[in-house]
Formats: sequence, structure tokens, C-alpha cells
Amino acid sequence: MASPRRAFEPLSPEGFAPAPSRTWGLAAMIIVLQILFSGALLWANLVAEAAPGRLIETIAFAEAGAWNPATLPDSAFKPARLPVALCCEASPLVLRTRLTADDAGLTSPSVLVPSAHDNVWLYVDGDLVAGQGRATSTVTSRRPQLLRIPARYVHPGARIDLVVSRTIGFGHLRPFRVGEYDALYPSWLALRVLRSDLPFANAIIGAFVAAFCLCAAPLFGARGLLLSLAGLAASWALQHVGLMVTDAPWGAVANAGVYLAAFLATLVFLVWFFIEWTSVFAPPRSPTATSPRTMILDAWNGQARRRLALASLAVIAVGIVLIALRLQDDQAVGLQLINRVIGWLGLAVIAFSLLRIGAFYSRGGLADPLEASAFIFVLLAAIADIVTVRFFKSYGIFLGSAVTFFPLALLVSLAVRARGVFEAATATADKLNTLVSLREQEILAGLQDLRRSEREALLLEERARIMRDMHDGIGGQLLGLVMRARANRLTGPALVHGLEESLDDLRLMVGSLEQSDGSLATALGAYRARIEPRCEAAGASLVWRIEDVGETPGFGPDRTLQVYRILQEACTNALKHGHPDRVAVTLRRGPDGEILLSLEDNGPGFDPAAASTGRGLANMRNRAARIGANLVIESGPGGTRIVLEMKDVAENPL
Amino acid sequence: MAEVNRRARVAIIEDDPVLRDELARAVGLAPDLDVVGTADCLARGRELLTQDIDVLLIDLALPDGSGIDLIRETHARRGKIKTIVISVFGDARSVVQSIEAGADGYLLKGAEPAEAANAIRTVLEGGAPISPSVAGHILARMRGRENAPAETTGPPLSPKEVAVLTDLAKGFRYKEVARLQGISPNTVGDHVKSIYRKLAVSSRSEAVFEAVQAGLIRLKE
Repeated sequence: MASPRRAFEPLSPEGFAPAPSRTWGLAAMIIVLQILFSGALLWANLVAEAAPGRLIETIAFAEAGAWNPATLPDSAFKPARLPVALCCEASPLVLRTRLTADDAGLTSPSVLVPSAHDNVWLYVDGDLVAGQGRATSTVTSRRPQLLRIPARYVHPGARIDLVVSRTIGFGHLRPFRVGEYDALYPSWLALRVLRSDLPFANAIIGAFVAAFCLCAAPLFGARGLLLSLAGLAASWALQHVGLMVTDAPWGAVANAGVYLAAFLATLVFLVWFFIEWTSVFAPPRSPTATSPRTMILDAWNGQARRRLALASLAVIAVGIVLIALRLQDDQAVGLQLINRVIGWLGLAVIAFSLLRIGAFYSRGGLADPLEASAFIFVLLAAIADIVTVRFFKSYGIFLGSAVTFFPLALLVSLAVRARGVFEAATATADKLNTLVSLREQEILAGLQDLRRSEREALLLEERARIMRDMHDGIGGQLLGLVMRARANRLTGPALVHGLEESLDDLRLMVGSLEQSDGSLATALGAYRARIEPRCEAAGASLVWRIEDVGETPGFGPDRTLQVYRILQEACTNALKHGHPDRVAVTLRRGPDGEILLSLEDNGPGFDPAAASTGRGLANMRNRAARIGANLVIESGPGGTRIVLEMKDVAENPL
Repeated sequence: MAEVNRRARVAIIEDDPVLRDELARAVGLAPDLDVVGTADCLARGRELLTQDIDVLLIDLALPDGSGIDLIRETHARRGKIKTIVISVFGDARSVVQSIEAGADGYLLKGAEPAEAANAIRTVLEGGAPISPSVAGHILARMRGRENAPAETTGPPLSPKEVAVLTDLAKGFRYKEVARLQGISPNTVGDHVKSIYRKLAVSSRSEAVFEAVQAGLIRLKE
């Protein structure tokens, strides 16, 4: 099984190197931006809510058994002060107040509901006049709502009943205002932008991040991380779609299903994402341990994370089925119930994520304050929103603003990480290059040593050979001359003859040394000038037959000198004993590819076995054997032929 | 026609007194050759060259330098003077170097007087003496140049020249080469002279190339 690529995985322990101060600056900047943005939002909301009109904070409320509040007598109502939390009952809640004389004097008296946690209907004197934001046909938003009271219902003391549904969840109603429609309108518009259009922007950002992560997943190594982030962003975007679209073309039940399924998916992806993030960038601590403690706190190995991915998808699928079944059964109650369950689930998920993040950063140190600032702020914002809604009966604004900055911080963090990996790789490559070049120098030095010693060995060998050849030839000849001269047994002509022989041998040696290109034919060509004058002086003509025998790389100076000496000896013998009038030197290839070098004369011949020149012949045989050749002597009445047979000699150096 | 009857003027540069005197004696014996001066080193040799001479016999290993330098100078400044290298062994490497420097022939030390006179006459008549080992050496050098850049090698040898050179390297005489190649002996001689010329040219272009490389000569842009 191929292990997944992990381009983002830093080389431990460098992955936890202290963050440079620049990163801390960036992180601080992100936090400050988030706080400023959240503060600005809060401020804008409060300003928007402060519309001109009568603020109603004290009110009477009653739980209605039926949807029509007209059936409720005033005695059923208890006093309450807004904002009020409307929790945990299945039936709608009715909040009752009355129009004052001032209200009745308005041209177009209207009710502005800045925030109820869910649907609000307006009943006047027991008649439903507006609700769910449909005060005019163009306005479709549920939060906030600007509800116009029709003129025929307007009179001092008119009974105003606000019926708020969804009392199961964290339902609430903020203080609302009664005032002139036109005066309330700007506030309504501002609140609408803040409540509906900003989440819309969030949805777009979520969709963008999801698309980016899906595209990047196959490119980078941390596929699980990017896919979980893509799921998180997509479900976040989908959640807003479910919240925003009131008159969905696919029906209210389906719309509620989209919202709830997306909510559930957000939570599941959140768990997956945080486990990925805190595992990919940390080495697995105990890859085999599966105790609850390690599951919660430690990094998960690749296999466990792949299982987690599958499990996440399975949980979402099962959740969607359950949600669908529950909504089919009873939409209104089902929606509230599921919402509440998911809400509690969300708290648990957020707690788990915080715990994990805390463990991750307490172990690794705040190596990457960028992502830490993003994560921690998002989680804190979520908690802040829940607390605001639950205990202050207000609406959540922090998560929205945090989510706006979340992708930004994450992308910057990824870029910083990628750069760290790149720098680490560059440093490693540099180190490797240095090592390689050092090794290369060592090898080159070793090679030069080797070549030097090889050259020295060759020189020594060549020197030894030349010494041997000198001893063998000219040295012995000169020594003989000296000894004979000392004994006064050297005549003038004998001295000249001896010296000429020595010079001849010296020239043979020099000639053999010239034969550096290893061509036997050229070597013989140079030898002709040696042998021809001697033959002519002895009254014999020289026939020269050198055929093209091809390359003979095996003939270096060593073999060439031996061939020269064999020819010299053979020629001397032929001229001395046979007195021929013709001497022929032939070089050719034999039938088996062997090289044949022969010297023949047309003298009277002799019996090789009984030849008195046994020593000269033995000498020639020795030399032939030394170069790996075979010497054949044929002699008869028609003449003598001495053949040097060289098989597999020409190609192989001695 | 007066030129024909004129005795050729020969100068000898050789540091060994015995060999020098023997050579001067051998050349002096020839009726058509006249020894006008001898020298034992490069410096005195240069003085000799101020005279009107036809042939310079020169040893390579001289006490104050290499004879090759003087051959090169002579070839460059006084191209009409024929130069002949005197060599103990006629070893091909030094002979080929001399030819590349512009020498016209070579002579073995200790040669018979008649042989020496013949060699001088051959060169004077425009011939180019060549031994099998010299031919072999030239062939080997040409093979070594096949991979070198064209501007450093000068004109390449023609296939016929290579064939002639190959036969000569095997020890065949002009006449034998002529028979083997189906050409006249004179043509063989022409080929050899052409080879000599090309060697001297390529030697010069090599020298120029090396000088450019070393920054001694700057080519016009």
C-alpha cells in the first residue's frame, strides 16, 4: 500500500522550529483585525437597532396551545422583560402588548423585530396581519422583520400579539419597536445587511475555500487535510444557503433538511479537520495505541486518518437519513428537535477541538501562531456566539466575522509552511551538494594517485625491459669486444665489425621504441633499411612482400624488438651459411587468421636437427616463445624458410 | 645554364667535432658540393646563415638550444635555403617535428660519403626523402588529428596521399609504391612533397591557433 505523499509534512524536528518574529507579527495582526471587525459589527448592530420608535421591553407572554392568540384571555399572560429566552416548549409563545394613542396617531404604524430566533407572526386584535417578514410582497427575510399594521386595525389600545415559533431551541425575542414605517425602514435595511447579507458573504467565502481546497488536494501531499477543510467550507456555505433561502424552490422541508444536514456535516468535518491538522504536522506519537486518551490528544497515523475520513462520510450519510426521516414525520417539531440535538453536539465538538488544539500547541509550542490565531479565534467566537444567544438573548455575530478571516489566516499559514518546507529542502540539497563535491574531490584525488602509481608501474616495467634488452644485445656485444681487446685478440676489422653490430642493435632498439602505434607492417617497413644493405653487401637481392594484415595493437616496442632480433638472426644465418642470391621477407595472414612472418633464402639448406648453429636457433626459439609465437624452420636443397607463426598475438598486448 | 654548373654551397651545424669533420670531408669529396662553413652551436650557426648558402645541414641537439628553432627561422626568412636534419637514429619523432618546422630532408649520422651527397642532391633537386618509420609516424599523427578541430589541423591529406604514405610505411620503395598504386614513381615523389608541404602548413596553423589561445595574437574583429 503506497503511503500518501506529504508535501506539507515538515522534517521533524525542524517542523517545530520557533516561529520567526515576523510570523508573530502577522498572527497578531490577524487577531487584531478579527477583534476590530467583530467590534465594528457589534457596534453597527447596536446602532442599527436604535431606530426611532417606541422600544418595547416589558411585555406579557403566554404559552399558546393553539396558533391563534385570540383565544387566549389576558389572564393567561404573565409579565416578562425583553430580551426573553423562549426555551424548551413545543408550543408557540405569544407576547402581548397594546398600541398607545401615540402609536395610533402614526401615518403607517409598524413593528420592527430586530431578532427573534425564529419565525414571528403579528396578530392585531386576534387577526393575523403579517409574519415571517412578508409585510410587503418584496421582503422575504425572516430576520429582521418590519411588519406593517394595516390602517383599519390602528386604534389606541389595539391588541398586538407577536407569536414566536420554535420555542424548543435556543429561542429568544429581542426588544422590538413600534414606530413609523418610513422611520423604521433604514434600521430594518441596516439590520438586514448585517443579518442576511454578511452571512451571504460568508457563504461565498466558504464556497471559494471549498473550491480551492478541492483543487489543491491532488496537488499537495496533505490530501486528507485539504479534503476535510473543503468539506468544512462547503458545509458552512450550504448551511447559509439553508438559512437564507426562505421560499426555496425545493420546498420548506427540503430547505430545512439542507440546513440541518449542512449543520451536522460542519460539525463532523470540524472533527476530521482538526484531527488532520494536528496529526499531519506532528509526528505520530504512538501509532498503535488506541486508548481514548491518545485518540483525543495524540496525532493519528495515516491509516487511522483514512478510516476517520470514511467514518466521517458515513456519519454524515446516516445523519442525513435520520434528519430526513424525522422531518418527514413532523417538520415543525422535528426541526426544533434536531436543531437542539445538533446544537449540543456542536458544543461537544467545539470542546473536543479546543482540547486537541490545546494539546497540539502545548506539545509543539506555538510554532505556527498564524494558524493558532485563526483556530483559536474561530472556536472562541463560536463559544462567544453561543453564550451571547443563550444567556444574553442576542444574536451571534462573532463566528461570522471569525470565519471571514479564517481562510485568510489558513492560507497565509500554508504559504509559510510551504516556504519552510522549501527552505528545508534547499538546505538539505545544499548539504548534499557539498557532500557530493567533497566526495568527488576525494575520488579524483584517489584516481590521480592510482594513475600516478599506474604510470610509475608502467615506467618501471618499461625500464626493466629496456635494461633486459640492453643486457641481451648491445651490452653483451660491447662486453665481448672489451674482453677480446684486453686479451689483445681483437683485430681492426673485427673491432669495426663488432662496433657496427652494436650500433645496429642499438638502432634496432631505438627503432622498436618508435613503434608506438603497434603496427607490425610499419615496424617491418622501418626494418627494411637495416636488412637490405646487408643483403646487397652479401650479394643477395631482397624481395619485400608486406601484405596488409590490418591493425596489430599487440605489437608494442617489446614484441617488435624480439621480431627484429629474430629476423636479424635469421638473416645473418642465411647470409653466412647459405650464400643465397635472393632473400625474401613476407608478411601475410594465414588461412586461420594467424599472422605469418617468414624469411626465406634460396641457399643450399641444412638439417635443422644437426645444425652447428644450434645456439642461434635456440636463441630464436626462445625469443619466439617470449612473445607467444611459434617458430617453424623448414630447410631443404631448395633453400631455407624460417616462419614465425603468431596466432592471437597481434591483438593482445604482451 | 650557369646555375647548373654552379657548385652548391653547403653549411654544417653539428656540435660533435668528429662527426662534423667527417661530414664536411664527405660532402667536400662530391664534385658538385662546396662546404662554405661549419658551426658547433646555434649562435655561430646564425652567423653562417648571413652568407649566401644553398643547403644547411643541422643537428637537432645543440649545446645552446634546439636545431628545430633555427630550421623554423630559416624556413620563414630564407625559404630558398634547403635544410637537412642530421640525426643519429633517424628517429621518426624528431624528423617529423623537423619537417613540420620546414625541413626538407634528413641524413643519418655515420652515413657513407656517397649516401650523404646523394641525400643532399635529392633535396636540392626538389625531392623529399622519406623513410618508412617517418611515413608511419606521419600516418599516426594524421590519425590522431582526425578528431581535432579543423582550424588547428590545416589541410587534410588526400586519400591517394594516405595510400602512398601507408605503402611507404611498409617499407616499399618509390618504384614499388608506384607499381602498387598504378602511378609513376615521379607522381609518388610529388605526393610526398605535397605531404611535406601540408605538414609544414598544419604545423604553422597549429602554432597560430595555440598563439591565439594563449593570447599572444589578437585576431582583427
